[in-house]
Amino acid sequence: MEKVLTDFVKALRNSNVRVSPAETIDAVSVIDSVGYEDKELLKRTLSIVLSKTPDEKDKFNACFDDFFSDEIKQQDSVDMDQLSDIKDVDSDLAKKLLEGSQGELMLSIADAAEEAEIREIRYFTQRSVFTRRILEKMGVGKLEDELMQLGSSREDELPSDLEQELRNQLTNLRERVSDYVQQQFLLHGDVSGEQLREQIFKSMNMAQIDRSYLNEVHSLVRKMAKKLANLHSRRKKNFKKGKLDIRKTIRDNWVNQGILFNLSWAYKKVDRPKIYVICDVSGSVGAYARFMLMFLFSLTEVVSKLRGFVFSSNLGEVTNDFKDAKLDEAIEKALQKHGGGSTDYGQALTDFVSLCLDEIDNKTTVVILGDARNNFGPEKAHLMKTIKERSKQVFWLNPEGKYRWDTGDSVMTKYSAYCTKVFQCGNIDQLERVVSTLLKTAI
Amino acid sequence: MTDGPKKIIKDITKGFAKHGYICSEQIATAVYLASELEKPILIEGPPGVGKTELANTAALYFKKEMIRLQCYEGLDESKALYEWRYGKQLLYTQILKEQMQEVLEGAKGLKESLDRLMKFEDIFFSEDFLETRPLLEALTSEKGSVLLIDEVDKSDEEFEALLLEILSEFQISIPELGVRKADIKPLVVLTSNNSREIGDALKRRCLHLYIPFPDAKLERQIVQARVPEISESMQIQLVNFVQGIRELDLKKLPAISETIDWAKTVILLNSEELDAKLAEDTLNVLLKHQQDIEVVKKEIPALVSSATETSDGKSLN
Repeated sequence: MEKVLTDFVKALRNSNVRVSPAETIDAVSVIDSVGYEDKELLKRTLSIVLSKTPDEKDKFNACFDDFFSDEIKQQDSVDMDQLSDIKDVDSDLAKKLLEGSQGELMLSIADAAEEAEIREIRYFTQRSVFTRRILEKMGVGKLEDELMQLGSSREDELPSDLEQELRNQLTNLRERVSDYVQQQFLLHGDVSGEQLREQIFKSMNMAQIDRSYLNEVHSLVRKMAKKLANLHSRRKKNFKKGKLDIRKTIRDNWVNQGILFNLSWAYKKVDRPKIYVICDVSGSVGAYARFMLMFLFSLTEVVSKLRGFVFSSNLGEVTNDFKDAKLDEAIEKALQKHGGGSTDYGQALTDFVSLCLDEIDNKTTVVILGDARNNFGPEKAHLMKTIKERSKQVFWLNPEGKYRWDTGDSVMTKYSAYCTKVFQCGNIDQLERVVSTLLKTAI
Repeated sequence: MTDGPKKIIKDITKGFAKHGYICSEQIATAVYLASELEKPILIEGPPGVGKTELANTAALYFKKEMIRLQCYEGLDESKALYEWRYGKQLLYTQILKEQMQEVLEGAKGLKESLDRLMKFEDIFFSEDFLETRPLLEALTSEKGSVLLIDEVDKSDEEFEALLLEILSEFQISIPELGVRKADIKPLVVLTSNNSREIGDALKRRCLHLYIPFPDAKLERQIVQARVPEISESMQIQLVNFVQGIRELDLKKLPAISETIDWAKTVILLNSEELDAKLAEDTLNVLLKHQQDIEVVKKEIPALVSSATETSDGKSLN
């Protein structure tokens, strides 16, 4: 029976419920005491052992119902003796359908499925293909030919008992195979299609992601941001002042004969970076800015101070919009207010310097997202130099491929001279890498 | 196997009801599994659905001592596991200094002094100076215990890591003394309000129970058990009203505890029938945010009429 359970666990994992081997072992020992007889009890029990968030519980319930739904329908088969013309059919499948037991039939379905390489099933669209393939392997083609013959050779209008019975059995067989494929799909396939979608989104150029997928991308981005936040949130420094931790001090100083020599302080300080982001939201780069802002504002847990600015020609701050409103609305608002115009990096840098140069200190990281296409205007690279000197580091993220830098009106090299690092940042995978570097080095 | 699991689960449901805790089958199953598998159980759900109460009732039901550890930010091992009695230890060293004279009297040379010192019994780090805190207490409890670790989500992530050893092995390593293992494994209940995501490592070691808001039927049973003096029609109306409120978009939805408080209030006011005025006057028992109260106020007439309607004849299953 353990095979059933491991198969079920596999199906669960496929529908995005994370089940560890240890939890599977728990489930086995639970089933030892609970048993398989009572389905409701089994469901409640496994739900407690295997699914660990409300969200997972929903998925668990759906998956359980799917997985344990297939009760073999026992049909009353026609008495074989009545079918006098049974000798008329000679294909294996027909004989199996008419004479074989349910178990044998299931076995031959499984064999045919094995031959059809059902393990390779990945996407739900493949279900009908596999169903057909399995039926073919079982010899449905031949059976259908025979049915045609039976049909054409009959003299009266009514089909014979044999033909009727065969047709019924064939319909049943089709149903059963399609159930079987569905079950195998739960086991082997990417049930929700989520993994596939995520993979595609991650490697797709951000500007080409359709707006209708924004919600899904958003949840993906949030997932990635959370991963990064977990990775970087534990950096703590001991305070050098504040409340004395007497217990710890006494404990630590036993080695000094109880003379309190090394002091310990009660509080630890979590070191969080300050990040200023400047996003170009003019025409072509706007789509990238959307994801950049999305990513960064999902990171507020680990970043103590995050300020966002957007510009096409004049620079405007959007920090508060992002804090209060929902992210989608905030992005729309920012793009509407500041986006779309012709780009002027010189003006934007001037605005930025006059707005908050004083606040930039050696803990601040400045991130600039843009393609550095300045419409042949004055680039004012010396402002970049000022920013670089005051801040800890300056990152430039360019969504364009490297081969396009410095072509046309792009002045990337002029700016990159004053950047700590320059990244190409065209898809979400690259974006994640950049933000990870950012958090690693920003403290 | 003496008793089937179904029977035990039924017994738990009944036993809990005796102590005034009406639980769904899901909850009873979880309690059964926790005691059967000897695994900790992590309970999540909105505030006020009876997570902490479940642990209290379990302690009563299993007739075990209840030990509670309330989590908060900054909680550390010296407050949760054990602590040395530093004051006593300091005094001990004072005494030791005086004793030292006698021990070392007449010793010749450094080597002999050292030998004598080594032979001298040292109790500096011993049980005598150990102050037990809730977690260690639960492990060493002679009759077994129910350990409630309340609101784990409020504690730091470091504290979670501290819990791992206790939850999986039921033991605590004290560096100076060695490993302390539980003779009788306590029934451990952890609760969380999900103010922060609990780590996977911790979740993996626990059974997981999610308690949602109860449905109307269960909530009626709970009100009946907790406020038995309420009339049946009133009780149905109250529960329907609260169920209606939970459909609205509010900051904080009223939980079971609020329903019970409300029922008690209504008893106190000697009201026989739920009407708009009564609802409006006592709304602040149910709702804890001014904004919410204002939202609900507008809906009161509709809510009251539907609540009283369903109670007349047309039953809600």
